[in-house]
Amino acid sequence: MAATSFPGAVKGLVSAKARLSEPLRGGSRSLLVLYPRRGGMALVASATPLELSEKVAESIKNAEETCAGDAASGECAAAWDEVEELSAAASHARDKLKANSDPLDNYCNDNPETDECRTYDD
Amino acid sequence: MASCTIHTAPYSCSISRPAAKAFSLGFHQRHQQLIFFGSGRRSAVVCSAEKTVVIGLAADSGCGKSTFMRRLTSVFGGAAEPPRGGNPDSNTLISDTTTVICLDDYHSLDRTGRKEKGVTALDPRANDFDLMYEQVKAIKDGVAVEKPIYNHVTGLLDPPELIKPPKILVIEGLHPMYDSRVRDLLDFSIYLDISNEVKFAWKIQRDMAERGHSLESIKASIEARKPDFDAYIDPQKQYADAVIEVLPTQLIPDDDEGKVLRVRLIMKEGVKRFAPIYLFDEGSTISWIPCGRKLTCSYPGIKFFYGPETYFSNEVSVVEMDGKFDRLDELIYVESHLSNLSTKFYGEVTQQMLKHSDFPGSNNGTGLFQTIVGLKIRDLYEQIVAERAAASAAAAKV
Repeated sequence: MAATSFPGAVKGLVSAKARLSEPLRGGSRSLLVLYPRRGGMALVASATPLELSEKVAESIKNAEETCAGDAASGECAAAWDEVEELSAAASHARDKLKANSDPLDNYCNDNPETDECRTYDD
Repeated sequence: MASCTIHTAPYSCSISRPAAKAFSLGFHQRHQQLIFFGSGRRSAVVCSAEKTVVIGLAADSGCGKSTFMRRLTSVFGGAAEPPRGGNPDSNTLISDTTTVICLDDYHSLDRTGRKEKGVTALDPRANDFDLMYEQVKAIKDGVAVEKPIYNHVTGLLDPPELIKPPKILVIEGLHPMYDSRVRDLLDFSIYLDISNEVKFAWKIQRDMAERGHSLESIKASIEARKPDFDAYIDPQKQYADAVIEVLPTQLIPDDDEGKVLRVRLIMKEGVKRFAPIYLFDEGSTISWIPCGRKLTCSYPGIKFFYGPETYFSNEVSVVEMDGKFDRLDELIYVESHLSNLSTKFYGEVTQQMLKHSDFPGSNNGTGLFQTIVGLKIRDLYEQIVAERAAASAAAAKV
């Protein structure tokens, strides 16, 4: 996860965004998100698939609203449970993306004895 | 990969009539079936069908992709992957010997249903235990099943997938030991008990990168699920054959990062085919700091404890490790002093830990005890196979 803060560098942002929002293998997109940070704006590349990331944010808002009414109700618990479920799914999706990023790594994890994958420690 | 025949009726053994000729059926791939027809003599049919070994794992961290599962399947050999060509959101993992099923697939209510009823996934009302029991029993008896899929991304119940009986079936999820019928089907059960402080620290690490999450939302999520967790999930601890308890370290005062952990492996005594590991002298109480003249460790060091205890009115043995491994030789040193590990060669635990050094917990007790439990399960499986072979050999002599 790369984070750079460049105060007011909106122009640079636009071009970087265009480059980075190409779909990754697997059909998920890298989302460039602007966070307000001390000293300017920080650019963070979130590796969670876009729709999942949005679902998580939505569910948190929903849970906060539901619990504002009655914090001890079943609905409140169910709402936060949904947040937990989606956060777990998002975390798994991130791991999956990381794990699938290098085809050679994947192949060698499964077949360490093949010629391409042998390592020699001197 | 071994194939499997699909039986529509429950697999059962029956006595058949004597035939004119005597012949014996050879071993049918994984299903061992010895049927002897004696000519002129009373026939004896011995059905020693190779029943699937079923392991239950109770964990709160989602299904099938957890580190424990990956270590476990690695001990048996081969990497576990989602079924090819099926639903990409399937929670099932399949390797050569093992199939891992996520118990979330037995949700009776999908996400919308639970929202309407105001019920969490932890609540038994959201799960179909009858179906769970029926299908696990069927797989155990060698019958393939069409298991529903719970899609964690959409929150819906997807069309079922076919699960063929493997050598070892692992059912992982929130309620493997909740229903007593399912509990009786388990050959071995494990409960992963993460303490609240450690859970909080881990969830912060997991979720802070997520847009929308804040410290408050993470805390609120844990707090809101706690009542249901304490009421329905936590009590399963008492039924588990092995509990891995993860606590904050006692070596660093006020540590809240959860990087150094105190992990306790609580093993029930008297469990069939399971010999608890021990330090130095079985049944005694040992306090051990391996760091000293022979082994140098960096801060905060490593501390071990072993002793008999009582856990929910069960007799147990506890091996505890507090601290973390920094170097290979610390690992091998510790391994050489533990007994009853069920390793096949000296250094197997270390080798397994090194194989997955990128997994979380590889430098502390979580990785160590998960690996050891994996070896114990392998040992249990091999004992079962040996017993079956002996039983069918003995019956064949009759």
